[in-house]
Amino acid sequence: MQAIEYFVVECPEPLGGEYYQQITNDVFLDHNLLRVIRKIHVYIDPKVPVFIAVGILKKITTRVRVQDVANVNPQEGKMTLVISDETYLAPMLRIFWERFGKDHVDQPDRFTVILYDVKVDPREVEEIVIADPSASLFRDLIYALRCTAPEGFRVRREVYGDDRFTFVASEDTLAPDIDDLIRQKFALMETA
Amino acid sequence: MILVPITYKGGIYRHEEIVNLIEDLGGYIVQKHIIAQEVVLQSFVPKDDVDLIRMIAKPLNGEVIDSPLVGTEIAIVSMSLEIHHLPHPSCDIAEYVRRIGAKSNMVGLARGPGKRIATLNDEERDVINEHDMAVFLMGNFESCIEHKMPALLRGIEVPVVVCGGPDKEILQRIVSPPVDGYVGNVGRFMRRTKESEELDKLDEIIAEIIRVLTKRREEIAQDPLSVSPARLMDVIKESIPAIHEVTSPTPLTVQMAGLRVKLPFDTFAGELRRTEIEDGITIGDISEVMPSRMRDYILVRVRPFSETNTVI
Repeated sequence: MQAIEYFVVECPEPLGGEYYQQITNDVFLDHNLLRVIRKIHVYIDPKVPVFIAVGILKKITTRVRVQDVANVNPQEGKMTLVISDETYLAPMLRIFWERFGKDHVDQPDRFTVILYDVKVDPREVEEIVIADPSASLFRDLIYALRCTAPEGFRVRREVYGDDRFTFVASEDTLAPDIDDLIRQKFALMETA
Repeated sequence: MILVPITYKGGIYRHEEIVNLIEDLGGYIVQKHIIAQEVVLQSFVPKDDVDLIRMIAKPLNGEVIDSPLVGTEIAIVSMSLEIHHLPHPSCDIAEYVRRIGAKSNMVGLARGPGKRIATLNDEERDVINEHDMAVFLMGNFESCIEHKMPALLRGIEVPVVVCGGPDKEILQRIVSPPVDGYVGNVGRFMRRTKESEELDKLDEIIAEIIRVLTKRREEIAQDPLSVSPARLMDVIKESIPAIHEVTSPTPLTVQMAGLRVKLPFDTFAGELRRTEIEDGITIGDISEVMPSRMRDYILVRVRPFSETNTVI
């Protein structure tokens, strides 16, 4: 388990619990979410039925700037950006077009972007934020938990904030005391 | 003449010699795949001539493999076609079964997931019953499997193998009504089967399927079919030219006791019934030609000797 401080799957059926530990691990690994989770506690009881996942996230400061994906080379009257990672090329171009205008931005090939006659310091260009992956983190996390939870559990409730998340799913209406159960699981996780 | 199912794998060069040999020996080619420079022939050949084919295939670098599932159509019943069950394990198992000759169809249930709502509708039930057998892929929890199986097995008449997360002994205890085969420790998982122990599990599923189908074959042998479905396939290929226009990979899917003809029922059922096999005996005389619940295909069920008093 990669850099997760606490990862427990609790289930009255021990073998089922083992399988769900593996499923949770595989899903989070596939969605590249293991690196953002600090602690996670999953509780499944197929007899109730209920699926609870509570967790604490790491502090995420992963804003992607131009310097992370390109080398900026200032030249006479222009600035050449050599792209090393194409992942954020589209949002980067959109930001350049908005800021400098389409006339000043050229992309002669896949790995080169040229800015003509821009009155900006190259260092300032390097610092431009082009993407914030953490913005979609909640969506990705909930999607991953939906994949992890048994498919028949279609009554769901998700809460996210202050680097904490809660995901509850069941086949039936959620029990009124579900919040107590969530608090218990958080307490278990925090004392560990 | 006892026909045995085999798969021939070899290069495309001079593969016609093998095709002609199988046909001359009185065998039938059920499926022929040409993949790049490789040819795969799934066929039924006379038992005594397997060594001869092996010998002739040797200089062509061809390989003859026993494929006990050739000529069978298996339903892989997945609780849904959602990301939870696809592509692993449903596709992995369907693909593995296909490798040893079976024609596998994936059946995703509309209301498979969930303990309370799980059920089988009439279309799903009929589609599953059109196959030679069904493999039910269940989840990881004992209590769910126990609760769901009576509803999911209602009306299923073909042999069933249940795969699930709990151990085999537990499955045998909880699945009600009892089914023909059980494979434990294969529940829901979310990664590709590539580790050796996972592949061993797939082999275990195959072994269970082969065991169940062998038993079914023995049952059929006690009251033999009026005509071999593979022979019927050849007759249809020769008599109904429209079958050659069908773009499906297997326009005629051979089953253990019949075959699926992928032509529209309304247009071709009459022609099919009237098609002569031999000595004035038509397909309609020795088999039931009925509409399939799968699209508008035709399902031919060959009747046994005890009903027709004919074997050709």
